Amino acid sequence: MTVGAIRVDAVSKRFRLERNRPSSLKEAILRMGRTRDTDEFWGLQDINLEIASGSFFGLIGHNGSGKSTLLRLMAGIHRPTLGTVTATGRLAALLELGTGFHPDLTGRENVYLNGAMLGLTRRQMTVSMDEIIDFSGIGDFVDEPVKIYSSGMYVRLGFAVAVNVDPDILLIDEVMAVGDEEFQRKCLKHMDMLRANGTTVVLVSHSTDLMVECHEVGWLDHGRLVKVGAADDVVEAYLASVDMTDNTLQTRS
Amino acid sequence: MQFSPKPPLSPSVRKSLTLIYHFAERESKARYKRSVLGWFWSFLNPLVTVAVYWFVFGAVYRAVPPDTANGNAENFGLYLFTGLIIWTLFTGLVDGSMEWLSSVSDLRKKIYFPTETALLGGAASNLVQTSLEVAVLVVIMAALSNIGWTFVFLPVAMALALGFGLGLGFIVSVLNARYRDIKYLVRILLNVAFFAVPIVYTPELLEKEEIPEIVRLAVEWNPVALFIEISRDATYFLQVPLWNRFLVALAWSLVTFTSGWIFFRRRSMSISEEP
Repeated sequence: MTVGAIRVDAVSKRFRLERNRPSSLKEAILRMGRTRDTDEFWGLQDINLEIASGSFFGLIGHNGSGKSTLLRLMAGIHRPTLGTVTATGRLAALLELGTGFHPDLTGRENVYLNGAMLGLTRRQMTVSMDEIIDFSGIGDFVDEPVKIYSSGMYVRLGFAVAVNVDPDILLIDEVMAVGDEEFQRKCLKHMDMLRANGTTVVLVSHSTDLMVECHEVGWLDHGRLVKVGAADDVVEAYLASVDMTDNTLQTRS
Repeated sequence: MQFSPKPPLSPSVRKSLTLIYHFAERESKARYKRSVLGWFWSFLNPLVTVAVYWFVFGAVYRAVPPDTANGNAENFGLYLFTGLIIWTLFTGLVDGSMEWLSSVSDLRKKIYFPTETALLGGAASNLVQTSLEVAVLVVIMAALSNIGWTFVFLPVAMALALGFGLGLGFIVSVLNARYRDIKYLVRILLNVAFFAVPIVYTPELLEKEEIPEIVRLAVEWNPVALFIEISRDATYFLQVPLWNRFLVALAWSLVTFTSGWIFFRRRSMSISEEP
């Protein structure tokens, strides 16, 4: 498989919702013999997807449709229950606020740690350190522990690391919305650069403006991939379905 | 951005090594950060422990240690110290593993990295600490001119304790991630285990009528006791460790480390899925 390509092959992900799941040995012993109250929930069902190297891929869908779960599987954080996910190359992921930061370490230490997790040595990170600090715009705060950061600073530093480590694949989950207007513009500009560099980007967002910028968009609904295709078509179909539910709601009331 | 030249190690090994280094550095920094005495604490802790035990068992109870190689019979503190170095390494690994894993479990939910690097990094930082204690021991033993080539078996004892302690650490850390009260249980068991190991007493003390044979055997052949006996042979009696003792110790260490590693690799993925 070419570097930067992602392949999702017949993937399903089951979550177990266990009520009264014992979280300590004491509880487990006290509840021994009692039947457990377990519910199964398939977060994703039979997803097949090929994302070409260097393309921008968007994921849309309602809250809880499985977009973030799919990204987590691509990032290797969760394992699929069935099927396989293959992603080759250096993969950077911005999955939620404070992606991969350790609260007690300073911003700088976290940049090193993050770099190590992405497979970069200390020396390589030292080379790009100034660039990262500069891009994030957090200034002297870089030597303060990240637990005192504002949510905007968190995201900015996370984004700065992710885009400056020269990833082959970048996964972004709705984090850019936290930055201010100026930072968002900077990000978009940088995304163009990534596009030129041939970085594969998978983007989860509720912003249809961002979605139409993608080469392809996938629409997830209740854990199933309903439609994949050219951005305009899929976004249109998605919006139409939202309008439809909206209308039914209105006619009912 | 271009990175060259290409490193000789495979990318995943290099990545793991970098991460281990980071976690080791973090652990070492966190240990004595923001303290005026800094690294001095790392000497103070074992020295105070030795001093207290020496006072209780040597001065109050008048425990008589066996003769050192050069016939120095009066120093119970040294006898303690040679045992405590290995014991501290072992308990530090078992207890620390649970902390090291839980300190990265939130991180692991947001970014993928090989989780075992957190434990290996913590272990590396513990080894540095143990090496400092060994340095103190070497200086003292040299001053008492009770030193010889058999000291080379001390690192061997440390390696055996490392394998065994880390193997157990792999297992209890995963269990602790699932049942959060495992750590209290482990700490209690470690407290009990302290007296199952000849640190504050000599194994000869158990050779009495009223002590059942089985207890004596359990104390003599339990893995940590074997590691301690090897380290004592090396640094206190200055003799080559008994080969049968060494082989049993090696088996304990290898089997525990391997099973711990397999267990950890199988179960550690589920840590990121713990609610």
